[in-house]
Amino acid sequence: MSDPLLVVTGLCAGYLGEDVVHDIDLTLERGEVVCVIGSNGAGKTTMLRAMCGLLKASAGEVRFDGKDLRRVPGHQVMRTGMVYVPAERHLFPGMTVSENLALGSYPKRPDGEQLQIVYRTFPRLQERARQNAGTLSGGEQQMLAVGRALMSKPSLLVLDEPTTGLAPVLAQEAYAALGELREQGLTVLVAEQQVPLALELADRGSVLDHGRITLAGTSEELASNAEVRKAYLGI
Amino acid sequence: MEAVLIDGFVLGLQFGILGVGLTLVYGLGGVVNLAHGQMAVVAAIVAARLIDRGASTAVAVGAGIIAVALLGVIIDRTLMQPVYREQSDHRVLLGLLLMLGVGFIIDGVLEWRYPIEALNLRVAGGPVEVFGVKVRRGSIVASSIIGGVGLLLVVFFRYTTLGRATRSVIQDEEGARLCGINPSTVRTAIFGLSGALAGIVAMTQAMTSPVVSTAGVGLTVFALIVAVVGGLGSTSGAFLAGILLGLVNTVSATYIGTFVSSIILLMAAAVTILLRPQGLLSRA
Repeated sequence: MSDPLLVVTGLCAGYLGEDVVHDIDLTLERGEVVCVIGSNGAGKTTMLRAMCGLLKASAGEVRFDGKDLRRVPGHQVMRTGMVYVPAERHLFPGMTVSENLALGSYPKRPDGEQLQIVYRTFPRLQERARQNAGTLSGGEQQMLAVGRALMSKPSLLVLDEPTTGLAPVLAQEAYAALGELREQGLTVLVAEQQVPLALELADRGSVLDHGRITLAGTSEELASNAEVRKAYLGI
Repeated sequence: MEAVLIDGFVLGLQFGILGVGLTLVYGLGGVVNLAHGQMAVVAAIVAARLIDRGASTAVAVGAGIIAVALLGVIIDRTLMQPVYREQSDHRVLLGLLLMLGVGFIIDGVLEWRYPIEALNLRVAGGPVEVFGVKVRRGSIVASSIIGGVGLLLVVFFRYTTLGRATRSVIQDEEGARLCGINPSTVRTAIFGLSGALAGIVAMTQAMTSPVVSTAGVGLTVFALIVAVVGGLGSTSGAFLAGILLGLVNTVSATYIGTFVSSIILLMAAAVTILLRPQGLLSRA
């Protein structure tokens, strides 16, 4: 068996000298889909931002594909093959859908084949290719955010609450699309408060509560865990 | 009347490019460059000094533009670094004050060392008839250069990687970082470009009337008005606002008087800002 794709050990991070997340350990094998579930304010975004180099970790280590990410500046992390899609999406509203996608493969020219893959996964984006990103609906913006991330041909896609601001039907559609990406062999790490959707997609999951991982296991184990059922599934 | 309109249009194109330079730097890093006009004058004085020493006009003009581009890069890399570490209001205020200081320093040095220096690139030959109107030769050369620069800017922002990266940083800095773009590299490059644009405007101005060493403040004020009317951060808005205000300025200066023209210009600016506070082209 090959080395894990991502190994996070003892990661601590926060803002203004105050840690929000503590001692995070997380491992992802190639081709796996792993979810981190937790309620609002549990520290999911802080954890992901620290992993992706957008926030300086105060302690701990992040190794991705054998590389120590602490030495890589935030804007270069995506070049290692790990690409982050934030909950706020951070699209370029005044640029067209195709320009947004093209910037996903910066600094290279957009790869035609990869663009076709993105358009096949999200046909709606092709229909809207010449429209400004700011005019898209919430669901379409989420597709574009994921599409833009895919343009760099990542080996790991890190998603922060891909269902933010989406109606239930659209949230399900978003997860269906993630399921397709998983079929294509992409490794995915997703943070989510919509726990049922996340557990249905993921192979494994961890529960983040008040900045600490309190529980980890396969999705089946988590779904049948009494505390998880009570706190996140409302059963 | 037609000749006045053409003069106004030519002046407007130059205002537009000045405003674009100012608005780009603001859009990327939140810095209101209150030394923008002074930087243009630096280019003019460098060129004038080189011509005095026997350099050919082409070399002198090129050197002046390169010098001011370098000045922009150096300011960005040194003085602006603490500014970029600040956020929102603090950043804008600190950047504005530091650039105001840079403007004072440039003005002071120019007044001290080169009080009577001026760049004069008057184009030889009589007026040329365009559509039956006599236009100064210098105006035609100046407007063709500025028009060409404007077109190059459009191509740059639409079709080149750095141009697209620049727009992406203006629209969403975090998003740009996620795409692997280093906002600080883009900022430095564009501060340099903005300086070069200011330099080019100084050169084209010198084709119709001499650019004196004290012209900086006036140019900064024009650039600022144009950028604000166009909507700070919007390049096409700034360009359009430049043309509009150039026309207003020239028409009122000719028919009413030079003194009143700046009052009318400011009033036109104020009215536009009241009617379209978000800028000429941007949607609210």
